[in-house]
Amino acid sequence: MMKFWNKEKHEIKKAQTQLNDQEQASQVVADKYNQRPKKWIYNSAIALIVVAAVIYSFISSDISIRNVDFATQFYYLWRGFTHPNTDFLFDMSKGGVPYLTLETIAIAFSGTFLAAILAIPFGFLTAKNVVGKHWSKLGEVILIVIRTFPEIVLALVLIRVIGMGATTGALTIGIHSIGMLAKLYAEAIENMDQGPIEALDAVGANIWQKIRYGILPQVIPDFLSVALYRFDINVRSATILGMVSAGGLGAPLIFASQAWNWSQMSSVLIAIVIMVIAVDFISSKLRQKLV
Amino acid sequence: MIKFINTGKKYPNGFQALENINLEIKDGEFVAIIGLSGAGKSTLLRTINKMNAATSGQVLVNDKDVSKLEGKELRELRRSIGMIFQSFNLVKRASVYKNVLAGRVAYHSTFKTLFGIFPEEDKIMALEALEKMGILDKAYERADRLSGGQQQRVALARALAQNPKIILADEPVASLDPITTLAVMDDFKRINKDYGITIVANMHHVDLAVKYADRIIGLQAGKLVYDGPSDAIDEEKLIQIYGRSLHADEVHGRVDTPKIKDVAGTSAFNKENKKEKKKSVKFSDIEGE
Amino acid sequence: MLAAKTITLPSGKTVKQPFNKIIIPAVISIAVFIVCGWVVLQNKGTLKLYEIGTIFKQLFSPTDYPAMNIHHTWADYFGYLFSLEIREALGETLRMSFIGSIIGSVLCLPFAILCSQNIVKTKWIYVPMRFIINLVRTMPTMVMAVIAVSLIGMGALAGIIATSIFTFGIMTKMLYECIEALDMGPYEALQSCGANKTQAFFYSVFPQLLPTYLGYFIYNFEINVRTSIVLGYVGAGGLGVILQANMDSIYTRSRVGAILIMMFLLVLLMQAFTRYVRGKLQ
Repeated sequence: MMKFWNKEKHEIKKAQTQLNDQEQASQVVADKYNQRPKKWIYNSAIALIVVAAVIYSFISSDISIRNVDFATQFYYLWRGFTHPNTDFLFDMSKGGVPYLTLETIAIAFSGTFLAAILAIPFGFLTAKNVVGKHWSKLGEVILIVIRTFPEIVLALVLIRVIGMGATTGALTIGIHSIGMLAKLYAEAIENMDQGPIEALDAVGANIWQKIRYGILPQVIPDFLSVALYRFDINVRSATILGMVSAGGLGAPLIFASQAWNWSQMSSVLIAIVIMVIAVDFISSKLRQKLV
Repeated sequence: MIKFINTGKKYPNGFQALENINLEIKDGEFVAIIGLSGAGKSTLLRTINKMNAATSGQVLVNDKDVSKLEGKELRELRRSIGMIFQSFNLVKRASVYKNVLAGRVAYHSTFKTLFGIFPEEDKIMALEALEKMGILDKAYERADRLSGGQQQRVALARALAQNPKIILADEPVASLDPITTLAVMDDFKRINKDYGITIVANMHHVDLAVKYADRIIGLQAGKLVYDGPSDAIDEEKLIQIYGRSLHADEVHGRVDTPKIKDVAGTSAFNKENKKEKKKSVKFSDIEGE
Repeated sequence: MLAAKTITLPSGKTVKQPFNKIIIPAVISIAVFIVCGWVVLQNKGTLKLYEIGTIFKQLFSPTDYPAMNIHHTWADYFGYLFSLEIREALGETLRMSFIGSIIGSVLCLPFAILCSQNIVKTKWIYVPMRFIINLVRTMPTMVMAVIAVSLIGMGALAGIIATSIFTFGIMTKMLYECIEALDMGPYEALQSCGANKTQAFFYSVFPQLLPTYLGYFIYNFEINVRTSIVLGYVGAGGLGVILQANMDSIYTRSRVGAILIMMFLLVLLMQAFTRYVRGKLQ
């Protein structure tokens, strides 16, 4: 009998410990649940701020349309756009669209080409694995200064110095692109594989040989890819710079807009669209080959 | 000839990587360095060409103290020592030929090499090295298009193109699959026998080391604990070097090593190893594969 | 290095060296550069290098023209930085870019879906849609701002329209590329445990898109702020208007310098802000 009672007691105790364990477990779960990050408060606060910002922006903006006679304007616009000024479009002289398109591409290409070469030393001087953490900060700061200057502003300043014309445009693009390219170059250099350089060290190469045989072969395809990408963007920039008389298609565009000459504007726009599409296409094809 | 006299390496944070190494490696020997990870194998290897400078004692290569060499003299030393790395260290986008040719840069002036101008003999040497390694047909392919074993052979060709007296190999086969490993190790053996080049290699796989090298050097915690011919290695000596029985990944497995039998069977060490989760390996099992 | 030569090895084997693949592209690039350089130099202005110093002085120091009775001090110069005019223009620039970004990002959603190959299976829909979007993307914001200004007059609205269209173009492309790269696995998994298509979409596809979408939005916002700064030059509102108004006359050029400093600070701030938000998004 005693044995039986003991056995039961033992089993009851076992069951109780099991229950206790379960309770403890659910308590732990409940605690954890209560501790979960109350993200929804944070997220809704942010959403509220964003919505408020949007509403405030809309309300306080000066959205007034000066020209009330919308319908007629639109009609003229439509007429003009669908009848582009073909004389201008096919005018082969220096003032005509084809030449100006060529000039725009030339501005972008020369600027990018020069920048691609000149940015190389800047890129190396900004890469942490070349000059070390502290000196690279200096390089970064210089590049940031060059980069944050809007191109138009740089063009305006240079126009006062060098005068109007395509050369100014090319120089503006060149200087601005050095800033952009050097940063991307530095990134490519920092991402490079140190292994081959170690091997060159073991072979007895000096620093120049290490750069020429270890660093450059790895890094130049990346540089080229970046430069092609930049060329793509610079073609658009070159168009814009023309608006401040730095050469290219921008000038006739702004003259046409000021005179409300829609047909002339449409011929320029057609040229812009074709040029950008063509350059985009060539640039992406070439970049695929570089991988 | 490579001579270590009381060589030691102490890192700035106080860690003693190498302590009191005294060693002499004669020309034409094939030496394998084995030991636990962190025992100092890589450090020891790299003091030979000063990729890692010894902080005490001397490292003499052909009677010149390597740890005192700098600049041009150091480069002149390094150009006659080839080095093979675990991750091959080839320039991936460049052709195999260019990679091998890069081994010759230290023999010419900076100016010429900057323009990629190598004398005709160098170009022939590079191609010959590729031929010796049996991959001449891949000479103009991009290095990263080759398999691991082929890439390591390109690295070997680069070393051969240097016309070296010594080749250092830092875990040369650790990244290769088991079959390719044997092929590459055969290449090392062939280079050693046919051209009389001293080979000093770090190995992770003990049975490989024992099979291919003439002499085994065992390191434990930076100290030299074994130095003897490879056919004198047996289980006891291995336990001495490793401080325990070997793990499964420290054995290549397909190599025939008659003297190393049941390392895991020694009772004194079994008790200590009970807590370890990794499976200890019985060589006899593997032999039967 | 140059031509294809044959080398004979001591063992007797011959190796033919391949043509150096770098030569042709290099020569073409240099030739193109020379042509472009020639074209560019046809249209050069008059070189007045000595003007650099003068310009910098005019931009970055207070104007002092006794003849016109203008005596500004450094206090005036920095005071202008915080004047009402500048602050309003700054606000207008920010608002313009923000609204443009929002409108563009919201409108792009249906079009992005129409452009994705994995949701819209018919070629007749997504191919023309992509073509149209590509056309939209060729236009730089400035060009569209010029057109907008001549259409509806000067003011922020022109800038908003131009920014919206530009953002629309970019966000659609980025979004449809993202949608196509999506992992449809969770979508199918949810459907297999009984969710209907909309539920599955919201709980599987949407959470994958949202971080990338927000990331692109912020990136775009930063670009738009940079372009909006100068959109005003063609009349579309913001800091650029003041820039244009003050650039030509020598007497007001010092204001331009102050504006430049303000633009610079704004861009730096935007970059820091973008980095902060993007960090939080991770």
